[in-house]
Formats: sequence, C-alpha cells, structure tokens
Amino acid sequence: MLPDQPFEALWPRSPRQTGIKPLAGRLESLNGRTIAQIWDYLFKGDVVFEHLEQAIKAQFPAVKFVSWREFGSTHGGDEKENIAEFAKKFKALGIDAVVSGMAC
Amino acid sequence: MPTSSLTCEGFIRQAGATSIGLGMPNIPLAMVPDHIGTKSPEELKRDVMEVTAPQVIDNLTVQPASKGKSNEPAARDIVCKGTFAEINQYFIDHELSDGLPIVPPTQQAVETFLQFTDRDPNEVLGVILPDSRAATIWSIAVNGVMAGCRPEYMPVLIAAIEGMCDPAYGVEHSGNTPGGDTLLIINGPIIKQLGFNYTQGALRDGFQANTSIGRFWRLYLRNIAGFLPHKTDKATFGNTFRVVLAENDDVLKQIGWPNTAQEMGHAVGDNTVTIARYTGGGSFSSVSGDTPETLLPYVADSVLKYHMWQLTFTTSHGMGKLRPLVVITPILAETIAKAGWSKADVKQYLFDHARLPAWEFERQLRDWNIRGVWDLKDDVRNGRIPKVFYENDDENRRVPMVWKPEDFMIAVSGDPLRNNMYVFAHNGFLGFPVGKKIQLPTNWESKLKKIIGWVERSATHQSGDATPRKVGCAALHPPYKIGAKT
Repeated sequence: MLPDQPFEALWPRSPRQTGIKPLAGRLESLNGRTIAQIWDYLFKGDVVFEHLEQAIKAQFPAVKFVSWREFGSTHGGDEKENIAEFAKKFKALGIDAVVSGMAC
Repeated sequence: MPTSSLTCEGFIRQAGATSIGLGMPNIPLAMVPDHIGTKSPEELKRDVMEVTAPQVIDNLTVQPASKGKSNEPAARDIVCKGTFAEINQYFIDHELSDGLPIVPPTQQAVETFLQFTDRDPNEVLGVILPDSRAATIWSIAVNGVMAGCRPEYMPVLIAAIEGMCDPAYGVEHSGNTPGGDTLLIINGPIIKQLGFNYTQGALRDGFQANTSIGRFWRLYLRNIAGFLPHKTDKATFGNTFRVVLAENDDVLKQIGWPNTAQEMGHAVGDNTVTIARYTGGGSFSSVSGDTPETLLPYVADSVLKYHMWQLTFTTSHGMGKLRPLVVITPILAETIAKAGWSKADVKQYLFDHARLPAWEFERQLRDWNIRGVWDLKDDVRNGRIPKVFYENDDENRRVPMVWKPEDFMIAVSGDPLRNNMYVFAHNGFLGFPVGKKIQLPTNWESKLKKIIGWVERSATHQSGDATPRKVGCAALHPPYKIGAKT
C-alpha cells in the first residue's frame, strides 16, 4: 500500500475493566474517630505523620491514630502480602479512616 | 472507609490520572508542596501543618463531588480514516503513538497477525494497571502492527505480554521516577527462525525482530497499561525502549552452560521470553585475561559500580529482590568455561567479590537515599535479611550486593570475538525477572515458509551479508552489496 492510500485505523486500546466506584461517606467530625496511618516507608512519611497528628489533634483533641508500624510497608518486596491484611487489621483495630502516603 | 492520599506537588497529576483507571476519579488527595527530599526539617513541618493537614481534614470530612465515566471507543472500533500521514497525526494527537511513525493498524493487517496464533482474539491475558485495561490477543496484534513487527512475531509478542501480566513482574510500577525500561531476552530455535540478531551489535537497532519487538513492548505499556509521560509515567528522565536481546544459545550449549530460559525453569530447546526492568547499564570494554581468576575481578568490580541506589532492592524496601544482569560475549564465556568453571561458579565468584564496606552500603540508603529508619544490624537481628550482612561490628566488613549467588543473572550474546561486557542495573520488585514459554501455532513452520523471504533473512544477517531478500515491491535499482567494489 502506498502512503497516500486511505487507511482505516483501529483503536489500539481496549476498554477499561473498572466502572466508577462510589467513595465512602465522609465523617462529620474526627473527634472520637480512629485514623490508620499507611506508609510506603519512603520520603520521610514517619516525620510527616508526626506533624499531621499534631495539627489534626489541635482541631480534634479526641481523635486517635494507629501508627504505620502496625501495617507494614505498602511499597516493597512484601507489599502485596501487607496490603492483603489491611481489611482484617482495620476491622480488628476499629479504624474509621485512613491517611496514606507518600506519593513522591 | 474515607481516605486521604498524601501526594507531593509534582505527583498530583499522576495521582489524578491513576485514579481514573482505579475507578475512583474523585479520590481525594492532600498535597505536600514541592518535594520532601529537598526540604529542611523546619520547612517540612511548616508545609505539613499549614498546607497538608487542612487538606487531610477536608478529605476525611467533606464528601468529594462525583465524576462521570469517559466516553471511549470500543475494542474494535475504527477511530481514524485517512492517509498514512493523517493516521499518524491522529495517533500522535491522541497519545496513541511514541512519536515515531506507526504502521496503520488496519483490519487486514491485524487479521494477518492473528493467523500466527491459535488463541481466541478475545482471550484476556490479564487486566493491567494503571488503566485497568484488558490485555487481549486482539490488542497485542493491533499494537504489534503499529510497532512495525512482522506477523510471524505474534507468538513472541503474546509471551511477552503474558510476562507483563504476571503479578511477579510488577508492571504497575512502570511509571516510577527512576524511569527504567524493560529488557526482553529471547532463547530457543525461534531466534534463528525469526532472524533475531544475537551476535555483533546485539543491542543495536537495525534488525527488525530485535527492534520492532522492543518498540512493541513500550507501545503496549502506553496503550494498554496506560503509562503516559506527564500523567501516569513519572520517569524523571527515562529513555527510549530497549532493543530485544537474543542469547547465543549455540555457544552456551557448546560450553555446557544453561541459558537464561533454563535458569528461569524452562526445558532445553524451549522458545522463551524473559523480561526484567533495568534503570541503567553500560558497556565495559576489554575484559582481559586468560583465566577466570584474571578476568573476573574486573567483572565483579563493574557490576558493583553499576548498582548504587539500587541496593535499596537488596535490603530496605526491596528485601532480596535485586537481580543484576551481566551480559558477556562468547569469547569471554568460552575462556572462563575452558578452565572448567560453570555459570554457577561465576555467580559464586561475583557473590564473594562484588562486595562493599558495610558503612558504604548503609550510607547509600540511610544518608543518601530515601529511607531513614533502618540499618543492617537491626534487619539481621530481626531476621529480615541474611546473616551475611551483619557478621560482626566492623564497619569495614565487606557485605554482598545480593542475598545469594543465584541472584546474579548472566547472559551470553554480542560480538563473538570481542572481550567486552554489558552490565544492567536492575530495578528490583519494580520489574522482577519473569520468563514465559512461547507457544507456537499449529503448522508453524509451514506458515513461516509462506512468509516471503523468511529463509533468506535468517540466513543473511548473521553473516553480515546484505544481499537483498525477496520483497513484494518492484526493485528499481539493480541488486547490490554494501561495500562491494564497483
């Protein structure tokens, strides 16, 4: 075929296999709630979580945090195993919300 | 459960693009200004307290607005009708091309590719992140056409994408900032059948099978996995796709060493594709000596020097997933084997000699790299890494760069009579080695023989003879040989 002949080109992608997932309802207040800290063990997340705790507690004194140490790394050789445990751990620890980092 | 995702400023766009493929386009993000790696402790505290924390609170207490689904074409839709130039402009404008001209993927061309597989075009090999698109036989054919592959490469392309879909490989990490690219290693009789170059210039473009299949891999990452620069692909620099490496199976058989396919668990004579992702690498010239003892110190020193921050895949968050690859030429392999050394002996040598002082190993990760909550002593005492990393308190003790000798990969290819080598710096679990057997269609050889010129092609390139092969167009110039006297 010569370059100036008309071509009918097919779409090279395939459809996405996920639909839109509705997000969970938000909390009215963080007071009395338990927040899980989820970390990939990179980019000073341990320091960032300390500062976040301080700032959030200043506004919501009755908020509680569960440290990233409880959950293992979300980005590493054992990431799949750690993430697979989240649902069970969240339930056991009474987690109401999650803060996850660090995307850097 | 409500969430908030902590995202550095430069990654907001990537997080937004990734969230679409995950089916949560409105997932809330909390930004950390600039990048954490260059902030003073005071700046970090101020930014987190004043910028990030209020956003985290909003993320957890204010319901995000919903977003709709984009209206995309269907799998077999024709998206553009026009000339070669118009088709190419459309594909570039819609982020469907790598910037080089593509072969228009027409129905006829795709069907020709599908003749080289017995599998159903609708078969789904996996769903690939971040776009969560189905990796189908059909989409492999479409992207193979675009990349400039020949139809008979189809079995290789399918095996490569089976590797991409293997969870052990970790394709979802292909947009990380070091910007590594995948190397495909081919073994088996198919090397000669399809005319892969496995001798001089083994990693140079200029050989259709090696080059176009390498390009196909990255087009598939773009169009099916969904890795797009400035969006889901956050390569800080990146580089172009890698030309496929074909091993010199003849030499390996002659010296009695297993090839890469066998080391990945396949049988002798199997056609295979092995994939792994590398962030860098380079050629080392003139590995001189006539015995393993005189040749290998240079090899050990070189493989160590090409793995610096990558040590994070040995301990730290990689935990034993580093697999350095050393490609040596046939003459080097033959010289080592002549002394009675097996490939396993070479790996043991590298494990024993490619070592660095413990203080230097720790400095790389604790002080120079990305994590500050670890050390070798603590990891050994808690059973997270092998004892060889902490045998005493001497900070000058020499520690290995991998957990065990078998973690080194050694391939044989390149100029048979030049004593050079190439070291690939591995990307750990973000592109872990995976090997797949190439499934040939029924009547493979008869189908091959129907493809114009395949015999001539495989016969010519190994000898360097540029005799024109039979082609379908009318030659307007008399046959000639490059370099021939006129």
